[in-house]
Amino acid sequence: MTVPAEQLLRVFPSSGVPIYRQVMDQVRGLLLSGQLRPGDMLPSVRSVASALAVNPMTVSKAYSLLEAAGVLERVRGTGMRVSPLQAEGSASARLNELRPLLEQVAAKAQQLGLTPSQVREALEPYLEMLAEGR
Amino acid sequence: MSDHPVETRDLSKNFGKQPALCGVNLALPRGTVTGLLGRNGAGKTTLIKCLLGLLQPSVGESRVLGEPSTDLSPGVKARIGYVPQEPVIYPWMRVEQAIAYQGAFYPTWDRDLIQQLLRTFELYGRQRVGALSVGQLQKLAILLALASHPEVLLLDEPVAALDPEGRRDFLRMLVELVADGTRTVLLSTHITTDVERVCSHVAILKEGRLLRVDELDRLRDRIKELRLTATRPLPETAPELPGILHYSASGPSAVATVEGDVAAIAAQLGRDLHADVAVVGLSLEDLFLELHR
Repeated sequence: MTVPAEQLLRVFPSSGVPIYRQVMDQVRGLLLSGQLRPGDMLPSVRSVASALAVNPMTVSKAYSLLEAAGVLERVRGTGMRVSPLQAEGSASARLNELRPLLEQVAAKAQQLGLTPSQVREALEPYLEMLAEGR
Repeated sequence: MSDHPVETRDLSKNFGKQPALCGVNLALPRGTVTGLLGRNGAGKTTLIKCLLGLLQPSVGESRVLGEPSTDLSPGVKARIGYVPQEPVIYPWMRVEQAIAYQGAFYPTWDRDLIQQLLRTFELYGRQRVGALSVGQLQKLAILLALASHPEVLLLDEPVAALDPEGRRDFLRMLVELVADGTRTVLLSTHITTDVERVCSHVAILKEGRLLRVDELDRLRDRIKELRLTATRPLPETAPELPGILHYSASGPSAVATVEGDVAAIAAQLGRDLHADVAVVGLSLEDLFLELHR
């Protein structure tokens, strides 16, 4: 099925993050949250561009980069589909999504002069909170 | 045929002794939407009027769809759409008459598109042009410019008088028009978020000179802000390093705007100043302001 992702995607032009990046990040986010599933068709470049009022080339750039990253695959004559391969989202692929945030945490912790064990300890309650939420 | 449907070479225009454009070299590739930014009086309108042949350049030349602006054939004119800053449409005509009148000049006039645009813009055929509000008049001008499916579209602050909804409608129409990748658009505006949305390229004019012209994403990759933090006070003047547009320090922290290979400059600055460096992306508005400091 085709997900009406133009209703799920939002862009913020003045955020300092290029719009193609925002689209990429959001498609990834929709995958991680399960709102987009392996095999789902993405809406056409044209309909996303028109719905968000952004340049079609921007959307097409985001799709192509996601294709290169193996997240999407091109279906000839039909459009873009969520790649079934990375469907399950291997643990390492999902960890990759977390990496930039982890790097930030590590860098900040170092600036603040915190030890690794202090940081681990600080993170623990958050993970527990999520586990309980299930 | 050149794949730059809009081109200028050393284009200069003086009004008396007052220079309005100085040596502008611009080449817009086919299929691109270029945002033309500049403060009031930077030369945006003059540039667009030179492209259309409405003003004679003092030096240099410009070409649209391969023909010199000063001598455009009717055939090429029919492939150009233009929305002036202050649309002039005969006030005694009704909207439908104004549409029919303009349509007579264009072989590619699209009546279905007109009906669709009239509905979107909430304009009515029987309305008198003279009784339209400034915003409605602008909408009519946009409709007249789009209805011929122009290959080259020159827009001089087309949305200045539109409300946010009208602006968004206009942006959608523009996106629809350019979706086939063959149209070339130059859009002058003060609304940088609109440029970030719909433009692939950006050209920045300052006092008649073209300050930057580049792909929008590339420009934003090349110009960023660095936030420096050190354990000791940082120097108050910028280090001697190419690519630093602006620098200001207060105590152990400093902010620098840099242009070029941002990662390399950040690493170099971090080493030279013994500082931690965070790279921050700039919105187009911030970037514009940085270039005008």
